[in-house]
Amino acid sequence: MMVSKRALAICGIALLAGCRAQQDGNEANSVVNSAETRNAATAPLSNDQSLALMKERHEHMEAFGDATKKVGNALKSSSPDVDAIRDSSSRIEALAPRLLSWFPQGTGPEVGKTRAKAEIWRKPEDFALKAHDFEGAANEFDVAAKRGDLGQINTTFDALGKTCKACHDLYRAPKKD
Amino acid sequence: MKQPVWDLPTRLFHWTLVVLVALAWWSAENDRQALHLYLGYGTLSLLLFRLGWGIFGSSTARFSGFVRGPAAVVRYVRDRFHWPSAGHAPLGALSVIALLAMLFAIVGTGLIASDEDGLSSGPLAFLVSLGASETATDLHEDLFNVLLAFIVLHVAAILLYRLALGRNLLGPMISGKAELAPGMVPMRPGKWWAALLCLAAAIAITRWIIAGAPPFGT
Repeated sequence: MMVSKRALAICGIALLAGCRAQQDGNEANSVVNSAETRNAATAPLSNDQSLALMKERHEHMEAFGDATKKVGNALKSSSPDVDAIRDSSSRIEALAPRLLSWFPQGTGPEVGKTRAKAEIWRKPEDFALKAHDFEGAANEFDVAAKRGDLGQINTTFDALGKTCKACHDLYRAPKKD
Repeated sequence: MKQPVWDLPTRLFHWTLVVLVALAWWSAENDRQALHLYLGYGTLSLLLFRLGWGIFGSSTARFSGFVRGPAAVVRYVRDRFHWPSAGHAPLGALSVIALLAMLFAIVGTGLIASDEDGLSSGPLAFLVSLGASETATDLHEDLFNVLLAFIVLHVAAILLYRLALGRNLLGPMISGKAELAPGMVPMRPGKWWAALLCLAAAIAITRWIIAGAPPFGT
């Protein structure tokens, strides 16, 4: 049962990743927005769109990092600031479902400066599955934060960190400066 | 006859430091964050111990016995690397000070560093802003490269002494003893209990820092 459910989820995600087309015709939107919501399978990104999306992706990833750092810092205190944790958890939870849409074809290392590895587009199912795990963990963490139970916050935060790492270990190139 | 040059605590400090720094490098490159933090705590304890031992230790371990100004370094080089007593000659003393200062800077920035994903951070990172932590993290990484350069210099100097001057500096750092020319002043040993007290104090201060410093966090 579990296996087939999981398989279904993968298919669903893969479909979403490949074919989510939001033809809202809102051309007045920024380049980034149209790049994020356009149909990746049919219309290749222009170079400008790719670079804009990659820049936005980088900023979102940094936002995740900032949020987790704030949570980590709060949890180190003897009486953690649960409101600060909630603030971070809701920001992570809101961004997490969009993560996969920041990785359409044509936004890899062949286009511009990025630590996203080309493997992402060679193993789209695995990547989508890991993004899905992250989304689920982000949701559970947010639920725990809203409930305010520190034990649960700690467990779900650890689990969330593992889903970050699962992807970064495989699909993110080491930092170069 | 061989005479004492380096005391046991100084030698233990030196070789433990070599092992810890090597492991810390390995753990950072291989993403073993939890291990890396423990190795950092160990290094901090060692460094604090060395500060204490530099005040209360044997004659060759004391800073007052080997920290000298540039004039002494110049004289030493002019004298063709001749030095009348056991312990650090002026040039070697520079290397010790540079290595210790760099290690303190690396451990210090490590205390407030944070990995980019916010999954692991130094024990005092929560006391500073995210920006300060990021700067410290960059410094932590960059200064390590400077340390590596210093270590290369350190090892190269020891090889040069061996090959060009025919002097063995490695042996005494292992056995603690060296053949001293007549008239050279050997080491005056420190007290073993002073070494233990220095170590206990170093570990206590390290634990206090790990716990979150002043009143143990906020």
